[in-house]
Amino acid sequence: MMSRNSMYTNPKPCKHLADYKLRHGLSGYNLLQEQIRTTPSGKSSVKNHQTEIPRCCFCNGYQKRLYLCLICSSISCSSHTLLHSQCENGHDIAVDIERSELYCVLCCDQVYDPDFDKIVMLKHLMDLPRSGNGVDVSAGRRSSKRRRLCSALELDLKKTKQLVSMRDLRAKSCYPLGLRGLNNLGSTCFMNSVLQALLHAPPFRNYFLTGQRNHEVCRKRSSDRLCLLCDIYVFFSAVFSGDRTPYSPAQLLYSWWQHSANLASYEQQDAHEFFISMLDGIHENGVKARSPIKDTGECHCVAHRVFSGQLRSDVTCMSCGYTSTTYDPFMDISLNLDTGNCPSTDLANKSLKPSDNTYVSTLLGCLDLFTKPEKLGSDQKFFCENCQERQDSVKQMSIKRLPLVLCLHIKRFEHFPVRRMSRKIDRYMQFPFCLDMNPYLSSSVVRNRFGNRMFAFEGDELDTSTEFEIFAVVTHSGTLDSGHYVTYLHLKDQWYKCDDAWITAVEEEVVRASQCYMLFYAQKMLYYKANEDLVCQPVSPRADPFLPIAGCC
Amino acid sequence: MSAKRSSINRPPTPDVDRDRENQEPTLQEIINIKMIESGEKERLKELLRERLIECGWRDEMKSLCRAYTRKKGRNNVTVDDLVHVITPKGRASVPDPVKAELLQRIRSFLASTAT
Repeated sequence: MMSRNSMYTNPKPCKHLADYKLRHGLSGYNLLQEQIRTTPSGKSSVKNHQTEIPRCCFCNGYQKRLYLCLICSSISCSSHTLLHSQCENGHDIAVDIERSELYCVLCCDQVYDPDFDKIVMLKHLMDLPRSGNGVDVSAGRRSSKRRRLCSALELDLKKTKQLVSMRDLRAKSCYPLGLRGLNNLGSTCFMNSVLQALLHAPPFRNYFLTGQRNHEVCRKRSSDRLCLLCDIYVFFSAVFSGDRTPYSPAQLLYSWWQHSANLASYEQQDAHEFFISMLDGIHENGVKARSPIKDTGECHCVAHRVFSGQLRSDVTCMSCGYTSTTYDPFMDISLNLDTGNCPSTDLANKSLKPSDNTYVSTLLGCLDLFTKPEKLGSDQKFFCENCQERQDSVKQMSIKRLPLVLCLHIKRFEHFPVRRMSRKIDRYMQFPFCLDMNPYLSSSVVRNRFGNRMFAFEGDELDTSTEFEIFAVVTHSGTLDSGHYVTYLHLKDQWYKCDDAWITAVEEEVVRASQCYMLFYAQKMLYYKANEDLVCQPVSPRADPFLPIAGCC
Repeated sequence: MSAKRSSINRPPTPDVDRDRENQEPTLQEIINIKMIESGEKERLKELLRERLIECGWRDEMKSLCRAYTRKKGRNNVTVDDLVHVITPKGRASVPDPVKAELLQRIRSFLASTAT
């Protein structure tokens, strides 16, 4: 079973490989399997005797690439493979000894055969201490995948038909729905900026606008206590009401203060911290209101359904190759800026990459950095279950499951507790409007560890899309102590700058040049659906089309 | 494969009157053999790989390969082509500190196995 992902469709075998397969099938591969050895770092080589040095049978050389004939096991160097094929008819397919990769002598090129790769992989896995190592070659379907899809659809498709039916198709030239300035209530731009982003996170928005949050029967409200979810609901209704005068989210601010008492002040707060604490508040309020779900470990509150994903962390022992894998949920991913610095060239003046001044940080660079294998320092030696002692190890992160809405946080605030100093990193970072998260998925990352192999991987999420579209950017300007947050929203192919109470349409270059702090991406399908519904309506102060109609839920 | 190893399919025997067989192994060969036998060569290769990845050399080679492939067209390039094109550039661009470190390791290896 092969992944439908276009990056991994099998190249067609050359004529010679096809002939070889017809004649010999898998027998050559199977006989070779015994001789394959894999290092802890994942490199597979063919070694028939531990100490014998393989040499070319024509020139006795051992310095070049050596190829082992699959039919007669004779070894030739890259200069003499053709000679061997000429001497022996049909001996066209060989294996690169050092890399365990197939080579066609007549095509003078590397060739690929999933059957071969499977055999190499199996041997590798068999040799690893305690099989598993996070890789299961069998393809199993999990029912939780279905549940997630259903959850996404529920939040999106079913109820938005209501919105669509209420469109006024005549209105074309006014601003889209849900665009409303937010008054600054005293250094609350950190809150306003995040709220603007939340207002337009497709599944989040739909949840609150389509009456899934039934605030009529909220128990807390009826007993006159504060309910964060109800306050958010009221907030959404107000912003999407069509009234364009700037709104003061005072009730919401007060509600949030109740929840995060430690952050309740008129000081400027960190927008990211606000975002996390807001989601946390929604989760706590949501969980109490619902009956406990079956033990799936997945929370069904709107915050989790929209934003939560799962990270995978692999720690590999450098001595024996044993890998310990853990999974952790996440609501957002915090990324360090990639600066293009590399350790070994710091010492010398010569370096391959141009100096820091001209290297541009990019989001993809940051994501690469996030999923790069990281050598753990000698003070962080990992206790290897297999070796039964502390060993040097390598850690690698990857994304096991993507959320519907991906929030990426760029770590621009550096804190030095020892020196009791904090500073902001102003470095510009380039970010794309369309993001394909496929290379950062666990399935891709783990697959890369095994080199150039073609095989189906347990984690291949065939039906989940990895393509995301940006819909909001929260930017920060100024210093750590006195700065300002502004959000750019991407609605219906137009960018809008939301600076507290002032909303203006801007060109995309402005957004690209901005200093991003938090990036919000939605799964492509959800983003385009959401934008279909956002046709503007004329201002009607009294009419509120988005209150739930009684009886319809 | 042992079933197919009949005398008919054996690779041709090297010429008996070739001098190479009777020559004494060169110093370089002796060192190389010693390094392989002790496993040091493999360790040095791993170290080299690590350093070249860290300093961005491998990424540099990757982008050279990509550029070449784009120019020639994906279906007109073989691995052999790429190896031929990349090798001189690759050899020339290994950073000095990396070379120095490996030389140092080889020197200490030689010192430790000197008999």
